[in-house]
Amino acid sequence: MLMNAEKPPVMHMRHISKSFGATQALDDVSLSIYPGEVHALIGENGAGKSTLIKVMTGIHQPDQGEILLDGRPIQIRNSAAAQDHGIAAIYQEPMVFPDLNVAENIFISHRDRGAIVRWGRMYEDAATILAKLDVKLDVRMPARGLTLAAQQAVEIAKAISLKVRVLVMDEPTSSLSAHEVAQLFKLISTLRNQGVAILFIGHRLEEVLEIADRVTILRDGKWISSALRSQVTTEQVIQDMVGRQIEDFFAKSQAERGDLLMSVRGLSKENVFSDINFDAYRGEVLCFAGLIGARCTDVGLALFGVEPADAGHITFAGKEVKIRSPEQALDLGIAYATEDRRQFGLAIPMSVATNITLPTLRRYLTALGLVRQGDEYAMAEEYRQRLSIRAPSVKVEVGRLSGGNQQKVMLSKWLNANPKLLILDEPTRGIDVPTKVEVHHMINALAAQGLGIILISSDLPEVLAMGDRVLVMREGRQMGLFDRKAATQEKIMTAAMGHNRPAMEAQP
Amino acid sequence: MSALRRYFRPEQVRELVLVVLIVALALFFGTQIQDYYTGRTFLRISTSIAIIATVAVGETLVVLTRNLDISVGSMVGFTAYFVGTQLMRHNDIAPLVAVLMAIGIGAAMGLLNGISVAYGKVPSILVTLGTLAIYRTILVEYSGAKTVVANLLPQWVLDLSSMNVFSIGELDFRLLVGLALAVVVLFQLILTYLPYGRHLYAIGSNPDAARVAGFLSQRIVLVAFVLCGALCGLAGFMFLARFSNITVVAAQGMEMEVLAAVVVGGVSIFGGSGTMIGALLGAAMIGLIDQSLIRWLVISEFWRRALLGLLILLAVEGDAVIINRLRSLWVRSELQMAPKQESQ
Repeated sequence: MLMNAEKPPVMHMRHISKSFGATQALDDVSLSIYPGEVHALIGENGAGKSTLIKVMTGIHQPDQGEILLDGRPIQIRNSAAAQDHGIAAIYQEPMVFPDLNVAENIFISHRDRGAIVRWGRMYEDAATILAKLDVKLDVRMPARGLTLAAQQAVEIAKAISLKVRVLVMDEPTSSLSAHEVAQLFKLISTLRNQGVAILFIGHRLEEVLEIADRVTILRDGKWISSALRSQVTTEQVIQDMVGRQIEDFFAKSQAERGDLLMSVRGLSKENVFSDINFDAYRGEVLCFAGLIGARCTDVGLALFGVEPADAGHITFAGKEVKIRSPEQALDLGIAYATEDRRQFGLAIPMSVATNITLPTLRRYLTALGLVRQGDEYAMAEEYRQRLSIRAPSVKVEVGRLSGGNQQKVMLSKWLNANPKLLILDEPTRGIDVPTKVEVHHMINALAAQGLGIILISSDLPEVLAMGDRVLVMREGRQMGLFDRKAATQEKIMTAAMGHNRPAMEAQP
Repeated sequence: MSALRRYFRPEQVRELVLVVLIVALALFFGTQIQDYYTGRTFLRISTSIAIIATVAVGETLVVLTRNLDISVGSMVGFTAYFVGTQLMRHNDIAPLVAVLMAIGIGAAMGLLNGISVAYGKVPSILVTLGTLAIYRTILVEYSGAKTVVANLLPQWVLDLSSMNVFSIGELDFRLLVGLALAVVVLFQLILTYLPYGRHLYAIGSNPDAARVAGFLSQRIVLVAFVLCGALCGLAGFMFLARFSNITVVAAQGMEMEVLAAVVVGGVSIFGGSGTMIGALLGAAMIGLIDQSLIRWLVISEFWRRALLGLLILLAVEGDAVIINRLRSLWVRSELQMAPKQESQ
């Protein structure tokens, strides 16, 4: 790998500090970014990565410190100024405009294309840029229907068209399937060869270390280390991140299989998924694995009654049931913790306590139907301690907690409903490694208490570590169901990518 | 079906359906109302449409950005009354000056709305609910309970409403109608060909992305409100020319007709999609229904507003169900036609 030790950095951030109220988000952080290099920024949630990016892109102004571009100090007052300096960012959730088409999205931020939109030329130029990046997309297609990966490609094309010199990528892989990640990395390599400096933030460590040329680690808003990728090991990086040794990266599940809890036969929903068959047992973690578009989440939503299935049989706790609504699912003892915390999972502006008791509010009412707040707070406090939710009190708004802690609030909310079956949809997506380990331990503990757990995950190491059995889906079809012993990385991947026939339920 | 999908977008299908509905309505009223197909009926309906359409164009600019302006009725009424009073007092004001005055006053009121929404970060529905009441109250105070009367206005104002641009047989197209059509065409061109138009769609489509996309979204929203106010001012002038006698309740409740026109015309209330042509068709439908119901004796006067309300609900609900379904159908078929990315 080509290293540019002799080349001057394109961007140099010196002694940057930034605080929000009492929280010191960044404390004297310095960082150099070199052209033609992928610089990985690693740290736990709350380490200051996001703040640093926001300072670079003009969303926040630093309290102290300076930013040099080509050795000259610059001020980045807003995102337009960042763009003028050749700095662009791509976020976890692509920021495209769904009502505009691909070409419009690429050129929406351009200010040098004349006073009048020349549609023909715009389509040609967009097609040229996409071709240069080796991306096959119809430039006239509205962004609404694009996959997340395609939306990201559009954003990268947009950045390129703006002659970007420093490209910040904030967790770009967290919503992508393995195949899409590979394509993205190819794209990143193309950019690197064109001399673009890339600041890459990711939470899947293997991925980050695969693509990075240089690694910088932040912890609690402070700079910890910077080194060439070739000079660090995974263990060192993890150690620097958490400041302590982690003996087991992923928790192992050891629960005993209990009674049959739920039995699903031929579950189908037109145009979404078809013929899903499995049994779920108490004390067991059943993983649903698949790439993006595998429709695992849709099965979860059907089991919880949000988007009911239209054919098939479900037997729950010995009785044949039809699940038509979340209320009914909750009454049966099925709870569902969603993938998208902000959209479906939590009432962001409300307190931790209110969120936890929301589905079970009936239990906290007086005879007159008023909420007994004392009991509510007491219950929430119990969960705060049990799951070690890092919040100053249960009266704090959920929106002020970090992603991992929000996830714990959501788990508390559903645990409080005393479910028999808990469906967890991507419970560790976008949260840092130590919190991830905590969540895995928690899942183990819950299974050991006799809960049945369905864990939907697109994170293969997580599936391998956590699943007692693994059901693999692809485009709405069940491709196989593997026991723990049989579930290898290769088998799951081949099934998920569709290289084998749909397999029948592997009965014990 | 797939050929249809290739050449028409869901929005265009919707506009086509609207045209068919308008024709069907005109045929229906023809069987119900005596002497319906006359030049007079056309005049009354087309002039009514002209005013609604002019305001609807302004409202569309605002709605595209995922905002709402419900103060339009008060802005139209205020300018109509104010300019009318000035013309009564100073009969020598030049026509162009009067029009510019109307546009300027409207723009100033729109500016106030826009500043509060774009920079004050107050939800637009609350800001304009406030100014709806405030502008109307200022008008009442200013009027001193007097009215603008036709015989004190300069003659050119009175002539304006009967000035013809062209005629097709018995059907006369008045200057006001021509003006409204020019406004629709001008703003449709702005939406399609100016970066400003694309930015309006972008902001309504994804406000969060607009914030980091490097264009000044606050200013763009502000300008949308100012333009909406300016068009209300122009419509206020048209209102004056059409009715000549203006009281303090002029154009009261117009926001209902305008919003109905906009949503029936397919401008998404969630921002990001819609066209001026659609808004014009919406205005045509509302104007047609409104003016025809006055003469349709089966339905009482009071039901007209209920019917407008029903139309708004139907349009929004219909959009939610039908357009979304069409859209996903379109997207799916386009995905199938696009080269397979995933195959490796």
